[in-house]
Amino acid sequence: MQSEGRLEDLQQWMQAVVVSREETEAACALASAASTERISSVEDVILPSSTLAPAERVAIYHRMYLLRMMEALESDFPCIEHFVGHGRFHKLVADYVEVFPSRSYTLNRLGDHLPDFIQSDESLRHRSFLYDLARLELAVTHAYDASPANPVTPELIAAVPDDGWDRARLRPVPSLQLMAFRYPVSEYLESVQEDLEHPSTTRKDSWYAIYRRGLSVRRLELSRRGFHLLLDLREGKTLGESLARLARKFRRGVSEDELFSWFRDWTANGIFSSVEI
Amino acid sequence: MSNRWNFPDLGIGVGLRTVHFPHILTSWPKVDWFEAISENFMDSEGRPMATLEEIAERYPIVLHGVSMSIGSTDPLDLEYLRKLKALARRVDARWISDHLCWTGVSGRNVHDLLPLPYSDEVLNHLVKRIRTVSEILERPLIVENVSSYVEFAASTTTEWDFLARVAEEADCGLLLDVNNIYVSSFNHGFDPAEYVDAIPADRVVQFHLAGHTNKGTHILDTHSDYVIDAVWDLYARANDRTGPTSTLLEWDENIPDFEIVHREALKARAFRAVIPEESYAV
Repeated sequence: MQSEGRLEDLQQWMQAVVVSREETEAACALASAASTERISSVEDVILPSSTLAPAERVAIYHRMYLLRMMEALESDFPCIEHFVGHGRFHKLVADYVEVFPSRSYTLNRLGDHLPDFIQSDESLRHRSFLYDLARLELAVTHAYDASPANPVTPELIAAVPDDGWDRARLRPVPSLQLMAFRYPVSEYLESVQEDLEHPSTTRKDSWYAIYRRGLSVRRLELSRRGFHLLLDLREGKTLGESLARLARKFRRGVSEDELFSWFRDWTANGIFSSVEI
Repeated sequence: MSNRWNFPDLGIGVGLRTVHFPHILTSWPKVDWFEAISENFMDSEGRPMATLEEIAERYPIVLHGVSMSIGSTDPLDLEYLRKLKALARRVDARWISDHLCWTGVSGRNVHDLLPLPYSDEVLNHLVKRIRTVSEILERPLIVENVSSYVEFAASTTTEWDFLARVAEEADCGLLLDVNNIYVSSFNHGFDPAEYVDAIPADRVVQFHLAGHTNKGTHILDTHSDYVIDAVWDLYARANDRTGPTSTLLEWDENIPDFEIVHREALKARAFRAVIPEESYAV
């Protein structure tokens, strides 16, 4: 085990043991079988101590791996754990990190594939609900770490000339994520956070802006049409283009009162960071 | 004796942990300095980063990493190093440390501080990489000895001899974790005093102290308790060799109130010959 190639062999072997779903002794045997002929057993790699055999020593690292992954995902997906229960969540995490192990220096992005993984896990009950709930919790983590931006002030909005709105481009704050849900997952999240009665898991469409105001992540419920207007504005379309597309999509325009109400709400909530004319 | 780079003795610091943010931001406790886990802030522009910047305005900050994976046979992560350097500039980090270990291979990260065999070939591998990192960061990397639960058949020398040689040949600084020395000495059956006595004292930039969990057959480096007397004795022995050196207490599990953690850290005063002249506390 003395050349760099041998160090790489050792690291491949030890990593294979540490991340294995098998018991440690079986994990060592499997890792050895998959290794080059330089490692034929755990005793080739690890020395015994006065109290522990080689496999018992490497088991210390083996046991800690899943606990660490579990802790990271519990922290980012508390509502998923709340819904499925601790034991089922533990299995979900073990299954998940086998397919999507951490490939980053940070554990903050470990859960990025969890919603899609949940959707594909046919053994999960209510998985469509859980898919939406995981998307919501993931969006919260993204908003939490996003770059800050000062929202536009009502004065700045008021300063836009009447004939400037059609060509105005409203830039949202960097943390803004627009989410369409088929299940009442925002209500579920609130019920967990506030220790309230949980909503039913029956289908109920909803649309949300997830964003950060100052240092706090917020959820703002949107109308379906408001959601689509914001999608276009976020893509950089002018307000005029966005409204025209909205009218085509929904076969009716937006009234002045409705538009005024939306923008008053969005501006007050700090959704936009700039207006360009 | 001071270290060869004249990194200052910052006094006695505490590891910055999220649960203590509200207390720190409201009470501004009289702490000499804080050590922040680099990876907790490198990708955040939200509350963690805002809090760290606010704290960095009032206290010296040292960045301590857990994912550089300096001993891995994977290529160095240059994007990680770029972000680390930028973070260090942003919070005016007094120095940057990470562990003498590997955390994954083949692009994976198991997020554990995995030990290395102590052999010439591994030494050469580490020396090259530490020198490269120090060049990229434009400052000497400070490396920390880890607690370990295994000994490799491939090792040809002791951990302390290996650590001393890495430090000399890579021209890097040392963050000597006294608790880790104690934990490994229990797990592997060596004399911790011999370890401390073999370390090149002029390369020690910082000490770590922590509590651990004794499982009978082995000790786990849990950072979950008070520092035991045997570790304080080792710290005193190391301090006698280095002179007053920046010292930090880590507490990561079952974290008590900030005052309890700070009070535990301040016990180090009894083992330091000189209290730093400059008080960094607000």
